[in-house]
Amino acid sequence: MQIVIGNKNYSSWSMRPWVLAKEAGIPFEEVQLKFNEADGGLTVDGIGRFNVAGKVPVLVLDGEPVWDSLAICETLAERFPEKQLWPADRSARQVARSICAEMHSGFTGMRTTMPMNIRSQYPGKGMTGETRRDIDRVLEIWTTCREKFGKGGAMLFGRFSVADAYFAPVVMRFRAYAVELPPVCRAYSEAVQALRSVREWMDGARKETEFVPTDEPYASRNR
Amino acid sequence: MLLVIGNKNYSSWSLRPWLAMKVFGIAFDEVRIPLYQPGSKERILGYSKAGKVPILRDGDTVVWDSLAILEYLAERHPRLWPADRVERAQARAVSAEMHSGFAKLREHMSMNTRKRYPGKGRTLESLADVARIDEIWSRAKGPFLFGAFCAADAMYAPVVLRFRTYEVEPRNKKYMQAVLDLPAMREWIEAAEREPESIPGQDLYG
Repeated sequence: MQIVIGNKNYSSWSMRPWVLAKEAGIPFEEVQLKFNEADGGLTVDGIGRFNVAGKVPVLVLDGEPVWDSLAICETLAERFPEKQLWPADRSARQVARSICAEMHSGFTGMRTTMPMNIRSQYPGKGMTGETRRDIDRVLEIWTTCREKFGKGGAMLFGRFSVADAYFAPVVMRFRAYAVELPPVCRAYSEAVQALRSVREWMDGARKETEFVPTDEPYASRNR
Repeated sequence: MLLVIGNKNYSSWSLRPWLAMKVFGIAFDEVRIPLYQPGSKERILGYSKAGKVPILRDGDTVVWDSLAILEYLAERHPRLWPADRVERAQARAVSAEMHSGFAKLREHMSMNTRKRYPGKGRTLESLADVARIDEIWSRAKGPFLFGAFCAADAMYAPVVLRFRTYEVEPRNKKYMQAVLDLPAMREWIEAAEREPESIPGQDLYG
């Protein structure tokens, strides 16, 4: 089994299935491709041989490519039921699915003005009205999940689940842009950053030197 | 079960679970909330704090987002996804691709069931989206994307209506026709045509 990812510093979509599989102890081979610096990061070098959607991440399973972070997470959850990647409780599981889907198709304000950039710090940047509304919705989700389902641990549904892998890139964004968090959310954010898989991903990101212009609205190439 | 949807003329997200439930004979009560009217937002928020349609309520369980609803239903009705696990993973991939992508198609060719806008909405980027969808459809394994109708077809059903409105011709015309011929799809279209509300901001080309 292979997981094909992009730059660890920038690729929020890649981070999700990678963190999910690592944290759950599912063995896989990492294949890293890089965003094409020449076209500003719009394409991924070498992706052509894996699938036709042209995007990372890709899971290669039984020799067949599965693309898109959410489809990969669902597929892993189905193939490794013993890992309980979704919450076991039915009602909690549906909330987990709903918030992941909401993350998957939404929050475009936050995505646009606060792109994931693990090695950088841009406190205060990117806070537009739309981004503020997106952030408030994230904080509402985190608070509700922690209060309603979080009793058994430090994660959104107590123990680690797909939902935490899904929101890990948001934790990275809040860190880079120094978004102020209420105590419940700050504690959750710290717990995510303390996960072994997240630390490993962050270490990898800090070692990267590529500069992808489309993900760098607040810096110029010759920093 | 209760399914909360928006206007049948405009709400592409609502069509997906509605169509899947109808095709698979999953009984539900429908609540239609016409969007962008005084009080619409408050009514939706009364069902889900995410503030968006569609929303499925099943007893105490509330599920929001079209894809999450399909996965929820698939737990009880496994036929929503292909039986073969490789095909099932592929079906999930194209569904997720639809769910988070094709932003330019959505923007320039918004769903508008009862209108005809031939030739409109074609930009370099929306046409790139069209080309990718055309490619996915042209690999269909039968009348539907994976042979028999599945959740992936429900995800792409709004695109079928867009192509109809903007008169985009895919290579796989049979696929488009198969979706349009579903009795449930005809029911949706007829209801959309009867809806009295219009949303001027969504009637992009008059």
